[in-house]
Amino acid sequence: MSVLVASIGFGLISTSILAIAAVGFTLQFGVTNVFNLAYGSVMTGAAYAAYVANQFGVDIWVSMVLGGLFGAALSLLINRGLYTPFARHGLGLAGIIQVTLALGLILENGLQAIFGPSYHSYQMSQGPSFHFGSMVFTAVQVGIMGIALASMIGVHALLAHTKLGKAMRATAADAPLARSCGIRTEFVTDIAWLLSGLLCGIAGVILVMDLQSFTSTTGSNFLVPVLAAAVLGGIGQPYGAMLGALIIGMVSEVAAAVTLPQYKEVIAFVILLVVLLFRPRGILAEVASLKEVVA
Amino acid sequence: MSIAWQFYISSILVYLGVDVMACWGLNLQFGVTGIMNFAYIVFQAAGAYTAAILTLGPSSRSLFQHYIGGANLPFPIPIIAAGAVGALLSLVVGTFTLRRLRVDYQAMVMLIVSLIAINVATNQVDLVNGSAGLSLVPKPLSQVLNLDLVNYQWFYVALTAVVCVIVFLFVHQVTRSPLGRTLRAIRDNEHSAAALGKNVTRFRLLAFVLGGAIAGVSGAILVEFIGTWAPGSWTYAETFVLFTAIIVGGTGNNLGVAVGALLVPVVFLEATRFLPPIGYPGLIDALQWVAVGLLALLFLWRWPRGVIPERRRRFRKPAPG
Repeated sequence: MSVLVASIGFGLISTSILAIAAVGFTLQFGVTNVFNLAYGSVMTGAAYAAYVANQFGVDIWVSMVLGGLFGAALSLLINRGLYTPFARHGLGLAGIIQVTLALGLILENGLQAIFGPSYHSYQMSQGPSFHFGSMVFTAVQVGIMGIALASMIGVHALLAHTKLGKAMRATAADAPLARSCGIRTEFVTDIAWLLSGLLCGIAGVILVMDLQSFTSTTGSNFLVPVLAAAVLGGIGQPYGAMLGALIIGMVSEVAAAVTLPQYKEVIAFVILLVVLLFRPRGILAEVASLKEVVA
Repeated sequence: MSIAWQFYISSILVYLGVDVMACWGLNLQFGVTGIMNFAYIVFQAAGAYTAAILTLGPSSRSLFQHYIGGANLPFPIPIIAAGAVGALLSLVVGTFTLRRLRVDYQAMVMLIVSLIAINVATNQVDLVNGSAGLSLVPKPLSQVLNLDLVNYQWFYVALTAVVCVIVFLFVHQVTRSPLGRTLRAIRDNEHSAAALGKNVTRFRLLAFVLGGAIAGVSGAILVEFIGTWAPGSWTYAETFVLFTAIIVGGTGNNLGVAVGALLVPVVFLEATRFLPPIGYPGLIDALQWVAVGLLALLFLWRWPRGVIPERRRRFRKPAPG
């Protein structure tokens, strides 16, 4: 029993990291329809940015913010410099997916060329431990959960209560219509990439803070669970991504406790495949017709 | 030619044949039908494991590697079985993923499938010997032919060439037949094809299964030659190389795809073997992947139809009245 409770504790941490990453992924996809497979490599890039700052003696939490800002800037740059030109050049949805995959490969291996194949760690302490029944969290892990909660509330507030959030939802629902209603969809697209990149960068840094060491493939290995969480909830749906993260994060950790630990991700993915059999568009998605790339 | 050079060149020719075959199979799925199969390497791996297990003999006789089943079947059977297993696995995966799912969902589900497959092959050690993989796979006909090593190499080149010709005749026949026309119609406009009464899912599944069979055969040819196969060697990046070869060569054109397979996995990746070692070990590999990615981007931007573009098909207008 205590193993099960402890695994729920692990599940909460996995869920926190997954939720930030999946909401970032899905926000950007919802607005722009770019299925960004370079997302995992951008996470790694942000983790390295935070690592460089951390090596210069910057505190790890400040480094995390810097990593988030780096992710935001890099995402905006990628869209302005690569995806938008390709989309305007007439490349279809399938072609754009290949562009994102190529970019992911370039970023991942470029980072490896710069930083080498070895593992790196942040200079940080995990802080005192807190006990909740048989769940044990370090101070860092409590911080991670707090950041996840704050991010989710922030995203909700943005989408539900601001004009910008409304404009984002309008663009996601129907970009040409939103444009003809006077919404500056280009500006909204930029904001979506910045916000997605910010969440992506923060997720990359806290993932490494939790794992304690990382290398150039860490982010892209984490991409598949992120995709799974985003798709499970219905892609383009931020609340669906939160739900998906909860299911994938919890199931994989609890499954690790009750079955073989090496299959924890496999079990979560099999659940995803089964869900897709019955609801091909995810749990929360109502309308998800195939749209063109919004550039 | 010195013996070392003969070895090198004959090996490269076998690799080329395997890559060309694999690209034809993927082209049938992606180039002709428009299925983004990012798990393609998994079907190649399934074929390779099948062929290896069917030539290695019963598992109980082996001391250092464990695998399921095991038999000692004569030469062409393991390769044919590999094709069958590739097709069967494609049928299972395709039934799950090609139904009603959008293109981008399919791409993502394929990534997940490849991750599940690698996970299972690595962790279920008694299945195909885990991360160590299978090794010491006997070479086909080596005892019957009784050739010395160099001549056996050339024999294997000939064998690969024969299989390549068979695969080519097959994909050529498929792409030029009414079936190929239907598949291209599905790629170009799924809804129009459906409106003309074509069962889109069934045809996609058919192309997926045929491509999977070819993937299995290519894996079998490769494993019987190199003698080992391990899950570390089949990540999504390997599939991406094949995608790049198809884009560079000419999506949808069998001849172009063969040229792409020569240019990308063989010329482009082998050329770096002759570079002097710089930096730490692994630096050149990393830069090589960067270069493959840049090559794909360059072609997608500048020559999206590839070196030898797909022939633009013209049809006579129906006579008026």
